[in-house]
Amino acid sequence: MVDFMKRALELATEALVAQEVPVGCVFTIEENIVAESRNCVNITHNPTRHAEINCIDFILHYCKTNKIDYKCYFTNITVYVTVEPCIMCAAALQNLKVKEVVYGCTNDRFGGKTVLDVSNFCDHSYELTGNLLSIEAMCLLKQFYKGTNPHAPESKIKKKKDS
Amino acid sequence: MSVEIEPPVKKAKTFANEDDYCNKIIDKCIEDIKNSQKNLEPVLSDDFQKSIPLIKVFVGIIKDPKDLSRTVLMLNEKIPLKELQHLKRIRKKEVILCPTNFIIGMSSIQQYIECNVEELKDTFQYFKELDVPLSPPKVKQQFKEWNKIWSCNFHPNVYLEKLVSGNFFAPTELNLHRTYMEIAFEVSRWYILHLNLNTNEDDVFRNINSAVIVDPTTQSVVAVSFDNRDANPLQHSSMLAIDNVAKTQNGGVWSTEDINPDRTLSGISEELLNYLKPRYPSVRFGARKFISKCDISSDEYNGNPSDGPYLCTGYYAYLIREPCVMCSMALVHARVKRIFFCFDNMFDGALKSKSKLHTISSLNHHFEVFTGFL
Ligand SMILES: [Zn+2]
Ligand SMILES: [Zn+2]
Repeated sequence: MVDFMKRALELATEALVAQEVPVGCVFTIEENIVAESRNCVNITHNPTRHAEINCIDFILHYCKTNKIDYKCYFTNITVYVTVEPCIMCAAALQNLKVKEVVYGCTNDRFGGKTVLDVSNFCDHSYELTGNLLSIEAMCLLKQFYKGTNPHAPESKIKKKKDS
Repeated sequence: MSVEIEPPVKKAKTFANEDDYCNKIIDKCIEDIKNSQKNLEPVLSDDFQKSIPLIKVFVGIIKDPKDLSRTVLMLNEKIPLKELQHLKRIRKKEVILCPTNFIIGMSSIQQYIECNVEELKDTFQYFKELDVPLSPPKVKQQFKEWNKIWSCNFHPNVYLEKLVSGNFFAPTELNLHRTYMEIAFEVSRWYILHLNLNTNEDDVFRNINSAVIVDPTTQSVVAVSFDNRDANPLQHSSMLAIDNVAKTQNGGVWSTEDINPDRTLSGISEELLNYLKPRYPSVRFGARKFISKCDISSDEYNGNPSDGPYLCTGYYAYLIREPCVMCSMALVHARVKRIFFCFDNMFDGALKSKSKLHTISSLNHHFEVFTGFL
């Protein structure tokens, strides 16, 4: 378990180096990694490209090419992600009926449990555990927010600094 | 809001008939949107509802009305109303003392007064418990209702008053919003034909789900999309629309077969664009030119602070159906300014039916939501 989160943290560090919000994620089935990714919102100009969404897309592609029923495949997946999935990602994971989600630190701004409990909207809900290597995950976020998002327009950065 | 659909007479159908059925529904929706006499309705937070949230407080009835102002001054200092600032402290001979839960651990309100404002221990004739409004009125209509219960302080907000007036959009604006919503239906029609979808009457409404993203500053359609969740469960129309906007900003991840070489038009399939243009000759298509950081020299940057488009900042989204939780949050991440939708989504709609995501105050971005096209 810890090893998977350590791998997710490596991916999050990669994101930080690439000047992306440092969140990393691995999908596992029976103790094997089947997908891994990190946040890539800035490079794609698509604010939905969170680590979890990238992993989901990877699995969907994998299932399609190998003619596997993705609906069944996802039900065996355990997700390790450095930050509590946001409302969007939590809903996506819930719709796909993944088995379990393990996260590092809580997400006070967008958390799919902390800010709005997405499990109230779906009949299926996965097992959710937090606080695995949360300090490490939080440290990466702090490092990122100490700097500014270099891809946001100048005026927005200034506003942020002023406030 | 649901649309009355007449059940088809015959059960067995040919392809042509099904297409025809679908076309007819789309025609009817477009016709009804065009002819609608109603203004659009905002979907507001629950604080705008008529029912008044109440809190129990202790009220003291003063013996000598001459003591009123002195009493209030003293109470404001020793037992301030804090969260109940919207309430006037006095009404005739009645004075609000404190919420009833303040005296936990004491035997009575008399004892509480004696402990906290000794000077007032003989001021009151008797005490009673009363329900008063817990939160401040947001609009005039509520102010009137609140006042029947207890006098309130109120400063009307011009914008909010207009929002609840039932008359928010001017006729010319309404025409624009309706036109963009019509385009959403035309987009569905085109994709259903183009993809040769076999839509039966049961899932016509599930399948006709499109998004149109508009830049209101240029009154131009930036991107459109058609729901593709059957092939990829992430590709709901809003998620696709956000990616199509990304394409106009040199980004995007989901490939489309015929991406327009003109980047400003890359949010719309070229063939679809050729279909829409003659049908909507007065509508502009395309994004403002994207300015990447590398394109701008530093002195130019300092001289001209106006930025190119950033995600969906300032954009309006027109959706046939109320978006689900995933899509609603995606639209928050994208910083869309306003969302317009036609049909409620009773199953998992997150902007009206099951939740009102846009009213969660802790989120870092808030858009406005409007519905009521039909
Ligand atoms: Zn997310
Ligand atoms: Zn959706």
